[in-house]
Amino acid sequence: MKRNMLAVILSYVCAAALLSGCGSGGAANAPAGEAESGAPQTEAPAESAEEDAEVPAKEGGAGESAPADGVVIEAVANEGQFDGEELSILVSAGWMDSRYDAVIARFEETYGVTVDLQTIPADQYSDILQSDLANGTCPDVFWIQSNPFAISSVIVDPENYCIDFTGEAWEAVMPKARLSSCTSDGKLYGLQIWHNSPEYVMLYNKTLFEELGINKTPSTYEELKADCKIIAEAGITPWFMPGADGWQHQLAFFQIGGSYEAQQPGLYEALNSNKAVFAGNEGMLTVLKEFKELSDLGYFGEDWIGTDSTNMSNEFGDRTCAMAMANSSYIQQIKEDTGTGDEFGLFLIPLNDNDCYPTNPAGPTMFGYKSTPHEDLVRAFFTFLCTPESLQEILDNSPGYTNLDVNTVIEQHWLPEEEEFMASVDKAKMETPVLQTGTKYTNDYWMNFGADMVAYCQGTMEADEVLSNMDARRAEAAATADDPAWK
Amino acid sequence: MNKKKLYPMWFAALPLTLYIAFFLFPSLMGIFYSFTDWGSRTAVNGLHFVGLQNYFEIFTSHENYGQGIANTLRFTVISNIVKLVPALFLAIMLQEGLKGKGIYRTILYLPSILPFVIIGLIFRSVLNYQSGLLNAGLTAAGLGFLKQKWLSDLHVVWGSIFGVDAWRGIGYVMTIFLAGLNAIPHDYYEAAMIDGADFWQKLRYVTLPMMKGAVMINLVFGITYGLKVFDIVYVLTNGGPGHVTEVITTYSYQLYSSGRYGMSTALNTILLVITAAAGIAVVRVMSRRETEAA
Repeated sequence: MKRNMLAVILSYVCAAALLSGCGSGGAANAPAGEAESGAPQTEAPAESAEEDAEVPAKEGGAGESAPADGVVIEAVANEGQFDGEELSILVSAGWMDSRYDAVIARFEETYGVTVDLQTIPADQYSDILQSDLANGTCPDVFWIQSNPFAISSVIVDPENYCIDFTGEAWEAVMPKARLSSCTSDGKLYGLQIWHNSPEYVMLYNKTLFEELGINKTPSTYEELKADCKIIAEAGITPWFMPGADGWQHQLAFFQIGGSYEAQQPGLYEALNSNKAVFAGNEGMLTVLKEFKELSDLGYFGEDWIGTDSTNMSNEFGDRTCAMAMANSSYIQQIKEDTGTGDEFGLFLIPLNDNDCYPTNPAGPTMFGYKSTPHEDLVRAFFTFLCTPESLQEILDNSPGYTNLDVNTVIEQHWLPEEEEFMASVDKAKMETPVLQTGTKYTNDYWMNFGADMVAYCQGTMEADEVLSNMDARRAEAAATADDPAWK
Repeated sequence: MNKKKLYPMWFAALPLTLYIAFFLFPSLMGIFYSFTDWGSRTAVNGLHFVGLQNYFEIFTSHENYGQGIANTLRFTVISNIVKLVPALFLAIMLQEGLKGKGIYRTILYLPSILPFVIIGLIFRSVLNYQSGLLNAGLTAAGLGFLKQKWLSDLHVVWGSIFGVDAWRGIGYVMTIFLAGLNAIPHDYYEAAMIDGADFWQKLRYVTLPMMKGAVMINLVFGITYGLKVFDIVYVLTNGGPGHVTEVITTYSYQLYSSGRYGMSTALNTILLVITAAAGIAVVRVMSRRETEAA
């Protein structure tokens, strides 16, 4: 492998664990204790590291292909090669923050370079990036909020704008689900280092459940309905649903995309190649009907359509609600906001008897600008970020994160509630991404779909009409994007 | 050269140029784009002329843009009625020697200067079913049976929008009426009183005929405001619940957000045509009446 960079990459890959331990899931999706158990690491030469790096992309997801003891990337700086150079980074506010400060400082010191961090307010970022790309004035590294389709829709022409990182050893650091947001046409363009805390699963008041005699969290719709009945009879809103926010209630439909795929294997691929549609999909229709039934029974509260999430933590603290869709970090917020002594827990959204984890590969992702005069420095930077030391540093300086979704063994900081929840989910059920980012053009119409769901719940629209509207909108977006699959 | 003219024609050159460059030309460009497939990918795919396709889609789409157009027209008519009539009577009351009328005028005008975002935040809170001030007040007054889901009930939500819009707009309309009332010579009322006219007769035969100018201004402003309504709907309901309160501009906004600029401009062009037609019609009717009266 011949490169103009001074950083030499050595990867330590545990090949045996890669092949034999793949079925039980990787470090990315497992609590720290689980990830750290496994076979000892084996040093591998740089050449073979590239081959190993390709394995996750070819074989499995975040849970399936990651070696149990993780991938280790090492960056070695040759003295003086980059001395005096400057690496410029264009990023939207909130994507790097202070969590990268220590890593960047160490990078500057190690390579004798300076890093010019250009942090742009989020509402202006997209315009500035597009303008920089079009004008050929883009900094050496830029970020986008990526998902499996964002490279073609946001960057549009990655061949022209992005450094091709295909073959870099750090590819193996990312779980397969995340790789899908970093590759286009089989080429690796991006690096995504993001957390994998449970997002928008069911958060419930464990103490309240126990007091009401509910000793097991519901895993099917019928069980959920039965529990809701018990909770409602106690004068408590079973499932707090902030419909007035406009963007929350549809999570109940999209976060369980894995269940649709499980019911109809190949559905995602068919939806993305325009060989399947939402309309008439049995699983989706079931979910809409279940959602409406819960609404009609008053289990979302007396006026969920007019209620927003402003008061949600207080509702939990005051025990006027028992469940809601939320992130795991919300548990801490409830305790801080209300001082409640109740215990909380997490379980999967059980509509459509779902047992799939809402893996979401979307996240801020960094790319190297193709026309940069500092390509080797950019490559060295990406490699540097993927070393265990850097990853640990990033996590340790991220108070909002409890983990990083990487195949490298680092000390994760999972919450006890997260650990308990993650341990309860079958790792094989973590592979399918959520519907909104796993299928093309779906996320673009998030709000419209939410409005249609409300219309359906209020009786002004049929369930299948909600789904066919999504099909029509996706077709419109595909036409705008000139997508050949829709021609 | 006509020497009676105070200023030469070239004085108009600069404003005319600015008007053409920054208003007329962009408007015409907007109409042009409504016949194209202009979108977020135009830079890559190029711009193509699509004829009336965008307009055809507006009237055949699953999105029910027709309902949005109908809602816009309905808002225009009703919002003008609920503002103009009370504003006229308030103006007359304040003109008729009410004590502390300056304070009342200020209080009534204040909502007009509040930004829509603030109004939205306030009224979303006031109209909240569970914790809102309105329902709490009704309950406290023993009128709990009147409690409503003000912003989420299909049958009530439009009433809430009209109410909030009237709360905001009445003061502004009233101020224009007050200016009109001030321009009516008091002699007319004295003559009417000598003839034995009561309040309603004075209103019918003196006030209203003399207020045509103010009424016309309010009507033109009200109709154009109603047809291009966006803010009040956006901040209170964002077109919901479901799609019940969607208007042309909320649909246009959604289309623009999803990168379908051509469709969005087509919808705006329809709005432009309706607004122009309504504005011209109002001015013509009022001008004709003025001529007949003269």
